[in-house]
Amino acid sequence: MKTATTIFQNGNHSWTVIARDPAKQTFLIDTNEYLISRDGEHMLTDPGGSEIFPAVFAALSTIIDPMRIDRLFASHQDPDIISSLGLWLDCNPKLRCYVSRLWSTFIPHFGGDDQSLQPIPDEGQQITLGLGKLFAMPAHYLHASGNHHLYDPDARILFSGDVGAALLPADESGLFVQDFDRHIRHAEGFHRRWMGSTEAKLDWCERAANMKIEMMCPQHGAIYKGADVERFINWFAELPIGPSTPERSHLNFSTKTHDA
Amino acid sequence: MTIRDPLGSPVDSHEFSQQLATIVGLTEGIKGVVAIASQINVMALNAIVLSQRAGEIAQGFGVISKELRALSMELTSLMNALSADAFTVVNLVSDQLRRERRYQLLRAAQLVLPDPSAPLNRVLAEQQTRFQSCTQEVHERRLCLLDRLEEARKLCRFGTAISRSAKIEAAFGQGFRSALGGVSQDFDKTIQTILPSIEALIDKVEHI
Repeated sequence: MKTATTIFQNGNHSWTVIARDPAKQTFLIDTNEYLISRDGEHMLTDPGGSEIFPAVFAALSTIIDPMRIDRLFASHQDPDIISSLGLWLDCNPKLRCYVSRLWSTFIPHFGGDDQSLQPIPDEGQQITLGLGKLFAMPAHYLHASGNHHLYDPDARILFSGDVGAALLPADESGLFVQDFDRHIRHAEGFHRRWMGSTEAKLDWCERAANMKIEMMCPQHGAIYKGADVERFINWFAELPIGPSTPERSHLNFSTKTHDA
Repeated sequence: MTIRDPLGSPVDSHEFSQQLATIVGLTEGIKGVVAIASQINVMALNAIVLSQRAGEIAQGFGVISKELRALSMELTSLMNALSADAFTVVNLVSDQLRRERRYQLLRAAQLVLPDPSAPLNRVLAEQQTRFQSCTQEVHERRLCLLDRLEEARKLCRFGTAISRSAKIEAAFGQGFRSALGGVSQDFDKTIQTILPSIEALIDKVEHI
């Protein structure tokens, strides 16, 4: 079963990460789900795939009644992000899922309809949770063409979806980044291949650098805290990604046809 | 199809998959019958033309050919209705299959909860109600399929009887005896092939 760990608490306002399932099958990529609670309202970010629903649900039940979750936030449309939507709607048919407008007609293939899907405009939007506000921050092309992160200005936490993600070996699966240089090796390949646009990356880095971020919480891997957030932004800004990577020859971008 | 207690042993997805395979097989069988019916239709049309050419001596043969043509059209329309019913059942059973997977995942979540009695009982009970209502609908459609197939069986028996009458009529066809005889033989052979197909379809529906 996954474990629920509270990473931020200020009165009725908290962030809890659901992570690290020792029983998880190795063929499934590991994921982090974040529960944001404020004044009795609850939002779950990137709730995960349907196959890990039991593990996520059970971990959540150790801290709240999961049936009280009435909002989901999906950074993008991938199966490891939101294919459990139908199951969450079985639990709470009134639940609303915020996702980029680009995916609001794709995601109902996993479940839901035009009532349950709340399309986020390209420029992002403010989302009220309890007496506080969250901001869906545009992160398009990082990696999905319609992609948002979620910023909590009071907690100074940025849920960064796949940005900052790392594929960690079993013996380096701490919840927080301990040694940035050691950790980032496990993030490099992921970012080089999954992040497709240098222009979008630099734009994101510039915006993120101007935000007050105490914790940057990716959907895979470990959480960046304090100075490691800035370290990550600088590292990411410098990293060649997508078609700019030295490995581009593997990607068959050649103009030659296969027959030539 | 038996749906078990939602809090007891899980629903059997294999059962739904088998049902789905059976219904898909049924659709293939229906296509086979429609193909034969359309063959009879063309044969009957040719027989009508032949009997008109033969004149008064083939009047009876002409009447029988028209009956066989009407029969083939009725059979085709019956098979189309059967196909629509089978399509509905495919949808229902596919939906059961999808719901069953979701049921299993919800059930798995419930089993790992610290207090398994809450809070998923209500959700599982709702799923169970949906299963039951869907199962009832499949059951009703199955009865409807069986009714239509029974009707098709009667039509085929009638077709077999009149194709034999066509043979008798052909015997009185004087100069056209050989031509009419050949057509009536073809009628008989073709109609004989439908009945086993209908029986096979009935057998399939009985196993849904």
